[in-house]
Amino acid sequence: MAEPAYTVASDSETTGEDKPSPAYPEIAIGIDIGTSQCSVAVWNGSEVEILKNTRNRKMMQSYVTFKDEIPSGGVTDELSHEHELFSGSTIFNIKRLIGRSDTDPVVHASKTLPFLVQTLGIGVRPLIAALVNNAWRSTTPEEVLALYLVEVRAMAEIQLKKAVRDVVLTVPVAFSRFQLTRIERACAMAGLHVLRLMPEPTAVALLYAQQQQQSVHENMGSGSEKIALIFNMGAGYCDVCVTATAGGVSEIKALSGSTIGGEDILQNVMHHVLPNLDSLFLSHGIKEIKALGLLRIATQDAIHKLSSQNSAKIDVDLGSGLRISKVLHRFEFEEVNQKIFEKCGNLVTQCLFDAKEDVGNISDVILVGGCSNIPKISSLVLSLCRKGEAYMGMNRLEAIVCGAALEGAIASGVTDPLGSLDLLTIQTTPSSIGIQAGGNNFVPIIIRNTTMPARKELWFTTAHDNQTEALIVVYEGGGKTVEENHLLGYFKVMGIPSAPKGTPEISVCMDIDASNALRVYAGVGMPGVQHPVMPFLEVRMPSVDDGHGWCAAALMKMYGSTLDLNILHKTI
Amino acid sequence: MLNKKLWISILLRSRPHFLSTLFPKQKLSRVFSCSYHISEPRVYIRFEDHFIGNFGFPKKNFCSQVSTLSVSKCWNCNAVALSKPFLACESCRCVQPVDPSVDYFQIFGLKKIYGIDDTNLESKYKNWQKKLHPDLVHSKSEKEKEYAAEQSARVIDAYRTLQKPLLRAMYLLQMEGIHVDEEKTVSEPELLAEMMEFREAVEEAGSPQTLKQIQGQVQEKMEVWSKYFENAFKNRKFDDAISSTQRMTYYHRINEEIIKKL
Repeated sequence: MAEPAYTVASDSETTGEDKPSPAYPEIAIGIDIGTSQCSVAVWNGSEVEILKNTRNRKMMQSYVTFKDEIPSGGVTDELSHEHELFSGSTIFNIKRLIGRSDTDPVVHASKTLPFLVQTLGIGVRPLIAALVNNAWRSTTPEEVLALYLVEVRAMAEIQLKKAVRDVVLTVPVAFSRFQLTRIERACAMAGLHVLRLMPEPTAVALLYAQQQQQSVHENMGSGSEKIALIFNMGAGYCDVCVTATAGGVSEIKALSGSTIGGEDILQNVMHHVLPNLDSLFLSHGIKEIKALGLLRIATQDAIHKLSSQNSAKIDVDLGSGLRISKVLHRFEFEEVNQKIFEKCGNLVTQCLFDAKEDVGNISDVILVGGCSNIPKISSLVLSLCRKGEAYMGMNRLEAIVCGAALEGAIASGVTDPLGSLDLLTIQTTPSSIGIQAGGNNFVPIIIRNTTMPARKELWFTTAHDNQTEALIVVYEGGGKTVEENHLLGYFKVMGIPSAPKGTPEISVCMDIDASNALRVYAGVGMPGVQHPVMPFLEVRMPSVDDGHGWCAAALMKMYGSTLDLNILHKTI
Repeated sequence: MLNKKLWISILLRSRPHFLSTLFPKQKLSRVFSCSYHISEPRVYIRFEDHFIGNFGFPKKNFCSQVSTLSVSKCWNCNAVALSKPFLACESCRCVQPVDPSVDYFQIFGLKKIYGIDDTNLESKYKNWQKKLHPDLVHSKSEKEKEYAAEQSARVIDAYRTLQKPLLRAMYLLQMEGIHVDEEKTVSEPELLAEMMEFREAVEEAGSPQTLKQIQGQVQEKMEVWSKYFENAFKNRKFDDAISSTQRMTYYHRINEEIIKKL
């Protein structure tokens, strides 16, 4: 017990490297870490098996409780009473908080959670703390996730009776590359080696490819290509994916995703039944936290009931003479969450557009994730795809982890004599990656939904006469200006020959390899000269660390526009 | 005129480890410049000519190269290649190093003509990826991972090139050793006038229906010039072929603009 629960291993640098392969490949386990629930699965030699914890549960709640000195997570621990989850000592919803700075609206929306989330709005990591012995003990999302993963690992090792090291984790499409590094870091802290971080709907696409492959074998039917739309909505995130499947190969055509989920729906309903919620609980004392917890449980129950009933009663005593007794109707629920449903619809439309697929070509619509059970959401997605009903062959809560386990087996080099693992997913980039140029414009170099591995190059030039240095600021995202996107890192190109502005040719090349590592290269040339004027620079991204939120502002303050770049325009 | 060569891509490509010298020793003058305003940045195309140029393969008789392939052996198990093209070993499933003499058409088992039958392109593409994709050799040696990365990237590129008529046309010309200068300004007054007309029509179009209508016209033109290219290329009238690709490029750009507005 004296041993620390986790070890601080170095970052993604080591996790990206491969160890010499053993004679018998270790099979990587698949882990689906959800905002509210988590599950683990593994290829057992003939099929995917979802592991159960000591309490015989497949779905484990994603939380860590800080009690005294020894934190415990939801893998093995069973809360004596559900209300303990809201005593202030339990941290959850980590997936919504990891890798975000205190200026992020998602972090601000997390302030109604029954533990401490404090923001100063300066672009650094928010303060997150659990109540231990009536005092706030600060922690970080990475630490909480690592503590949780240590339990996951221990559980898997007991079940599989062997050491577990390699894992495939699923992540939301909307995760930035910086957030991915935080997940890798948490895994490293828990002694796990990440073989792959897979966008959640692509794990479902892989499972679908396997099911299609099997049905082709059984029916001796034609293995013609099938287009499927996968819609995944859990507590924290919503993802959409269009995939073209044939012969066990799932080619991802397009991905779209956003940070909207059951948590937002819950908050909307909580604010609906108690409009002055924010001002009532502003002080965030122990009493307030308990009341927030009670309200959360009661509202959650009502929302679940509304999936099958037309109305549900919320009846809860929040203490201090505040009692809520209200019948919530389904139409009310749908009205309150109208904006969220609209956003879901937009993600579907966007994904179909990006995939350049006609709605009429969709063979199957696959709905997964807890929120896909909400009648309004499933009917919305189906109607946008002009389908009467959803694909029936998958468990909505287990599909993702099963896909992750398949990928784990494939990536570990396991083959199956019956061909059940004769599968492949061809991934695409979930968001555009580019640099700042022409003021605060974001110029994408690798465009969203490009097949991976990918390598693209664009040309830029200086913005000022005799400019000898230029700043390459790398961003990721879909916004037109850099402010709307995520900063990944920056470096300076030096030694540009003195010349009038617009003359030097600065090449910026981006490369995403098979393991999704991003490298940015920059070099300088001059017109009419065949060779680069100096060796080009290679930088691995993301290179920023915590507190990245203010980096861009600091760069701006330090250099202004003196090191700016412009796109090198063609003569027309 | 800017003569932009994407040299970082080329350097990286020609030196997978790129740890040594970062300067190109080769002359890049024959690098094919089909550039990035064709819907998405194209870079790999250039490597081919670059490789071909450097390794001194004759630029025209790709077919004669095939015969030398029949003696190919797997680098891993030494088994003799049974099928062409030899990208992965049939007996040990090992991914083979890129053979630059195998062209995109050969990868897909197609004749080197413009009017290809592309109905099976996608399934052939997926079949190759199932043998070559880097995801599948995760636990293998560094050497094979590198081969898989290169082969897979090349198949992706071959697929995209053959799939899109304009890229396919340019690739065919490139294989004949013909450089298409895409940045060349249009000089024919009749084409210039048409360009202006289309541009204006697109700019002024208020409704999606009008845009769709223009798009239909553009696609019609595209098909006409596509046919024209096919014939010109077949009859080895390369000057005509070049001018039709320039027209196709221009229709392609108009279409891109329409899609942007739609």
